[in-house]
Amino acid sequence: MTTAMRSSTLETLGLGTVHGIFSRGALPATAGELVDRVFGPADERGALVISGANGIVGAGKTMQLGARLEPYGVPIVALDFPGAPDGIGRQYPGLAQAFGRGRAAEVMANVVQLRYDGKHLPEALAGLRPRFLLEAVPEVLEIKKAHYDVFREAFPGIEIRSVTSGFPRSALGVGIAHPAFPHQINKVFETVEPEPSAVTQLLWALGLLPVPVSDHWSFVLDVLFCGLTLAAVRYHEATNMPFWKVDKYVRRLLGPNPFRAHDAIGAKGANFLTWSCLHHLGKQYGGLFEPAPSLVERKDSGRDWYPPNHFRPLVNWSLDAAGEDELATRILGPLYQMTALMVQEQRSHLALMNAIGELCAQFGRGMPAVLRGAGAAAGIRTVEAYHVLDPAAAASPWHPEALERLQSPEWQQLYVNAEHDGTVGVISISRESYSSDVDVELNRAIDWLKDEGIERVIVSGDFHLSTQMVGADTTEFFPALEDEQAGYAISRSWSATVRRLHDEFAVSVGFIGGKRCLGGMLELMMHCRYLVAADSAELGMPEVTLPVIPGMEGCHWPFRKTRPGQWPHLLRLLLEGGQVAAEDAVGWLVDVAEPGKGAFRAAWRIATGTGQLPAERAVAEGRLEGVTRELPKLTGTASPAARQAIVETIRAACEATLAEALEVQARHSGGFMTGRECRSGVIGGLAKKTLTV
Amino acid sequence: MGEHLEAFSRARIPYGAWGSSYFPAWQTSALAEVNIGQFAGEAMNRILGLRRVRAEHLDYLVIGSTVPWHWKFWNAPLVASCLGRRVPGFHLEQACATGLQAVFLAAAEVDGGGNETVGVLTFDRTSDSPVGVFPERRGYRRTEALADVWDNFGFDPATGNAMIATAGLAARKYGIQRAEVDDITLCRYQQYFEARESGFLDRVLVPLEVLNMQGRVMGVVDDDTGVRRLTAGALRGMRELDTCVTAGTQTHASDGMACLLVCDRDKVAELSPRPEIDIRLVAKTALRTSPSLMPEAPALAVQKLFDQTGLGIRDMAVIKNHNPFAVNDAIFAKLLDCDWETMNRSGCSLVWGHPQGPTLTRLLIEALEESVDLGGGYVLLFGCAAGDVGIAAILEVSEGGRQR
Repeated sequence: MTTAMRSSTLETLGLGTVHGIFSRGALPATAGELVDRVFGPADERGALVISGANGIVGAGKTMQLGARLEPYGVPIVALDFPGAPDGIGRQYPGLAQAFGRGRAAEVMANVVQLRYDGKHLPEALAGLRPRFLLEAVPEVLEIKKAHYDVFREAFPGIEIRSVTSGFPRSALGVGIAHPAFPHQINKVFETVEPEPSAVTQLLWALGLLPVPVSDHWSFVLDVLFCGLTLAAVRYHEATNMPFWKVDKYVRRLLGPNPFRAHDAIGAKGANFLTWSCLHHLGKQYGGLFEPAPSLVERKDSGRDWYPPNHFRPLVNWSLDAAGEDELATRILGPLYQMTALMVQEQRSHLALMNAIGELCAQFGRGMPAVLRGAGAAAGIRTVEAYHVLDPAAAASPWHPEALERLQSPEWQQLYVNAEHDGTVGVISISRESYSSDVDVELNRAIDWLKDEGIERVIVSGDFHLSTQMVGADTTEFFPALEDEQAGYAISRSWSATVRRLHDEFAVSVGFIGGKRCLGGMLELMMHCRYLVAADSAELGMPEVTLPVIPGMEGCHWPFRKTRPGQWPHLLRLLLEGGQVAAEDAVGWLVDVAEPGKGAFRAAWRIATGTGQLPAERAVAEGRLEGVTRELPKLTGTASPAARQAIVETIRAACEATLAEALEVQARHSGGFMTGRECRSGVIGGLAKKTLTV
Repeated sequence: MGEHLEAFSRARIPYGAWGSSYFPAWQTSALAEVNIGQFAGEAMNRILGLRRVRAEHLDYLVIGSTVPWHWKFWNAPLVASCLGRRVPGFHLEQACATGLQAVFLAAAEVDGGGNETVGVLTFDRTSDSPVGVFPERRGYRRTEALADVWDNFGFDPATGNAMIATAGLAARKYGIQRAEVDDITLCRYQQYFEARESGFLDRVLVPLEVLNMQGRVMGVVDDDTGVRRLTAGALRGMRELDTCVTAGTQTHASDGMACLLVCDRDKVAELSPRPEIDIRLVAKTALRTSPSLMPEAPALAVQKLFDQTGLGIRDMAVIKNHNPFAVNDAIFAKLLDCDWETMNRSGCSLVWGHPQGPTLTRLLIEALEESVDLGGGYVLLFGCAAGDVGIAAILEVSEGGRQR
């Protein structure tokens, strides 16, 4: 019996809980099993057919799925109308860049390109035994339905999913697997089906991110993205601010550049899709979604939103405080109203709704997190103020009551969940980068487990939304570039949080199951009493390359857990910024590195205290002398000044006691961020790009 | 005054839906380095935004500019695109008459019923003016190269005289004295600085940041650069270039834009922050005087206008003119029996420069604001233009009163 703060997102896929993965010692399903279920056994392997394969979506998915299914012997049929321009061949350079020419050639060789007149399927198709059709034909209901009829008649029982960005499953009569741009690399698919299917679970097993959503028009991603675009268009129409400048302000406010994104995707197609989504949403929900005249014009003309290169903007725009308030009201108001509507309609697990915005639409924080941060009262006030400015939206559904549950765990734990069985707890983090939101939620998760009497805990990714752990969210450091105290505060509070993993549990196991764990996330994991990793996981401290000083005790904590003879490994990791495979870091950073199920089982053994256990590497509480006396020979391109600053931090933090070291490290970290090195580095550049409008 | 005189029954200028850039002197600002048509379109959009007027109201755009600019072939539609509106439009030019004529053309567009709201956008960049190369097969040099601004200032092909020569000739014709011209000039500078220091010009002029290709600010147009306080001693000590004309008593070339709207009277409420202020276009005329006597042309045009309307100089609440030479004002005062101190109380182009196309548009906006401050009344606006032309117009502001 497992108790949880909130339901796991894995459960929405029919894959159980994160706790279950550890207690079983295995993932809930494997790609091999699911390929057999979807495409038949190896000796009768059927094909994946992607129709509309030369389009932007079709070609991208042909590459993404083709690369993943080729090792299992699943032929990929790229089907399209005669005369459709070749979209597959153009994918080759990207494929070769990602996988190398040899592997790219294998993937491409597995793609069978066939043509289809819209009525009769090519004879060659039958020989390839189609088992699964991913339809990516134009967004015209009649065309899509006729397409399904042809396939069902020829191949009864074939699984069909549409990539549609708008039509509900109830209208199409097939399930939905709506992918997000850019289609070659974005792993998210919004799925609509009555129950989690083998197809959806296969996507998960292949390392993709299926996200179940309800069967409403336009699903979650397009409500958010098209809704944001509409809000930005309406702001433009109300104020005359050019689209390029609206983009800059929206980016600073929320993260996305809605207009640049349309141009990048291809304005002709993207404008139509955005209009189409909003048009249908408008029919259902009214003025909140009604396409604005400028959007209709762009849909009709297919024009880019940004001016052509020879007409790069000449006159700048700026906003005073009142203008910024109006901007926030006009942008956040409709988005709050839309979010409340989706919550009310229970369109998806809230953590998934939140993640969709971040993973697919460049939101810095998902809309539920933004709304949660504002608070229910402020959110309602913003929507009401927006309705004064845009009375048509007031006539659309508005559910302030949906915000009444803002204090529930579903709202409060968007990024971090905790489960336990009465003895062992599992904290799962569903965000790839550490942020203030994650920090607060992690504290709540720890509090909850402590309240539940749990003394043994595993800390892990969530095996769904976070397939890797890439470190701290660098946007959190922007205030610290101007304010040393802000940098100090972040470093200090985040360090205090992760120390709890060591100090407040009898046993804590950091588990790294994904491809990599870097920077702040690695610092978090190393604070667990044990660190277990998949043997091939890459571990690294890339801070020196940004540069920043590791802020979550990375400059002294691992040294305190390691014999002096191993310190050069840590110094190299910190001062070169490179990565090391987990299996090569056993003994000085990692306690256990095992392939496959072995890692799960090791983590569970340690957490439960059963079987043979590795000795805990205790944290030395006294002063460490001579850590930086002899530096190893270093390679890499990190700046000497940044290296020197990290060396000084290591020396100062290690020569302090454990009790003092947190403060020492936080002071160094905060101080460095206001310096020239950091401000002119990656984070400084990003801050300038984001904050300077 | 009883029944309204009006040139157009439906066309109105909505109060406040207007603005102008500062006019930095020739070669002193970022405007010297940019496509002025693009700048003007984007600046008008910005100004309308600041005035809370949605660009989507625009049905048509009249643009006026006199110096060729890059992609000028495309004229009003292109500038409208830079403004963010794909509307048709029309380009016109007649030297410094452009800025006033454009307003009346816009009014005609509205009164004709074809368009509810017409934008008037005038602009020019005299800096680095283009040089045209003209094949002239009958000419001695076979091919003529002409620097658009300075070569034209220096030579009127119809008379063979330079612009500056017309001021000397007119001064001599009317027996104007250097001392009076210097006094007029000092008064004009004093009027400009008083208007500026009172904050009056802040209601008309909009600071604008100019971006480079990387999107970084390459300059801020927030001053009538080149305008310096003059002292009587310095002015009187200046060398005379022609009769009564010195560097101080004539204007200077500058760059800039100015814009306003003309709309149907039923549309004013949507466009103006003070729709109770009714601004009518009463009458307009133009006149061409004898060769090389350009400075007298405006005065003669005003006389003609008074004859047409039955109005006189005492009926005017605001008198404002484009005066590239202070001599213009001396002649006007003499011919119209007008105290020149009562003219140009909020500044004039003698002081802040001469970008041609937008000069009279900025003057008009300043004059209308001044009239509103005075509680309404007739506005007389006039000026000279190349070719010995004078243009004059009367507008009527129904009411006003300065609002805090």
